[in-house]
Amino acid sequence: MIEARGLVRRFGERTVVDHVSFSLRPGEVCALLGPNGAGKTTTVRMLLGLIRPSEGSATVAGVSVPGPAEDHARLRGMVGLLTETPGFYDRLTALENLLLFGRLYGIPQPLLLKRIEGHLTSLGLWERRDDMVATYSKGMKQKLALVRAIFHEPDVIFFDEPTAGLDPESARVVRQLIASLKRAGRTIVLCTHNLAEAAELADVVGVLRSRLLAFGPPDTLGRAAQAPLCHVVLTAPAEGALRVVRQMEGVLQVEPAGPRLAITVRDADVVPRVVTALAAAGFGIRDVRLHERTLEDVYLEAVGADA
Amino acid sequence: MTRDVLFTFLRKEVRDLRGNAQVWPGYLILPLLAVALPVVMLAFVPFNAPASLDPDLEMLLRLAGRDPLLAAYPQGERLARLMVRETGALFLIMPVILSGMSAALAIVAEKQQRTLEPILATPVSDRMLLLAKLLAAVGPAVVVTWIAAILNVIGVAVVSSMRLGTVILPGGAWLLAVLVLAPLCGVAAALVGMRASMRSKDVQAAVQVAGLWVVPAGLVLVGLVGRPALRSLVAGVVASVLVAALDWWLFRRNERRFEREEILTQWV
Repeated sequence: MIEARGLVRRFGERTVVDHVSFSLRPGEVCALLGPNGAGKTTTVRMLLGLIRPSEGSATVAGVSVPGPAEDHARLRGMVGLLTETPGFYDRLTALENLLLFGRLYGIPQPLLLKRIEGHLTSLGLWERRDDMVATYSKGMKQKLALVRAIFHEPDVIFFDEPTAGLDPESARVVRQLIASLKRAGRTIVLCTHNLAEAAELADVVGVLRSRLLAFGPPDTLGRAAQAPLCHVVLTAPAEGALRVVRQMEGVLQVEPAGPRLAITVRDADVVPRVVTALAAAGFGIRDVRLHERTLEDVYLEAVGADA
Repeated sequence: MTRDVLFTFLRKEVRDLRGNAQVWPGYLILPLLAVALPVVMLAFVPFNAPASLDPDLEMLLRLAGRDPLLAAYPQGERLARLMVRETGALFLIMPVILSGMSAALAIVAEKQQRTLEPILATPVSDRMLLLAKLLAAVGPAVVVTWIAAILNVIGVAVVSSMRLGTVILPGGAWLLAVLVLAPLCGVAAALVGMRASMRSKDVQAAVQVAGLWVVPAGLVLVGLVGRPALRSLVAGVVASVLVAALDWWLFRRNERRFEREEILTQWV
């Protein structure tokens, strides 16, 4: 559904996106993580055909980017975009705003009204449809922007910071909506700083800092990024335990701290063998814990290493 | 879809104007002036007084006397018709100022309120977007101009019948100028204004460009084509064709230079 091939974007001397390649299957949700200025929005704009890549190309919903203007227009009709700031006309009502954008998407008026009513009702905004957008809170505007991103029922949806600055309740509603779109089989690209949100919603996660530093499913990304870490707490400090563990196959590194051993292993299967060997050598074991690397660990390591 | 897109921004512009009292003076003062000036002149100019009493009146009478188009009328009516015809230029100036100023904000204001990217992300083509924004800038200005012109015709007819005993109605040249040339001049000013808007990084810069360059250039255009067009039907037709050609050239130029990428990325 989305395939980016070596996308590069330079603004003058500055390379904002540097050879980014990834592919998403239909129905997959991809979270693009990265600090401010990492190139997330620029990547999305390139995939939408709004700005031209300096190098590389992409295929989105079967349309090549870059391509002829007519193809780009067709592509824009097949994708939805939630921009970082909602962007509505303050002096128009919520309904007038949505009708305006709906007409630009070419949705017939009766169908448009039906869809708007459905979405606004589910988001609790139907009663406020005739209020000017200027009177809306940030959360309400963001919900309105979500409706605009999906009311033409696009196959691919780009969400740029969908919950940024929202209160927890509004953020939850937005996440639920994204989850329902995921269940409905939409392909979604989610640019976010919110790691918990990415872990909750995404099938694949990309850590972007101009380059794509990591890419993969959130649960396997930690294992792929670095070997698992196991903490073994002995009943008493023991120098001999260090010798036993260090010579074992699959143990990459051991760091003692009193009775505690921080053991980096090649994979999680090594841990039972370590425990058995220590017990066989006569060391008392109080606790064994395998430290699961979180998405936050992966993100901070990737971004930190690149910096 | 085409018609829908074209009128979408016009509807938005009208709603925006209705809800923004701060822009009303611009849409009221010029029309009021264009309606009131000839009517007040007709009401208070001493048509039958000896011209020597007032040097300005004397000069106007001299001008009216030299004009072959007015030669057939008695002296008082000749003067009245001259004043009505010449103040018709206000109806050419009006759409130039209103649509030029409005168009200068057409793109940059969208940038400022962050509505530009959602609009550019819709499947609307560059041409359709430019046409829709053009219609939104010119439409209200032309409607206001035409309403003012109707009020002007009524006012002039009523006052002229009361003061001169004859109803002065606009001639073919005046009608052509107001109905055709005025919108075309408004379109020219709007297209120059839109170009300025595309290049501006903020609203203040766009307003300055509009005030210092777009509107004066529009007024020069009116100065060049307005006077002959108001006097002669043939000159009016020629002027309309020339301004229409200028509009076409300006539109194509804007279309060629409309770069979504440039507009999206040149933020302040």
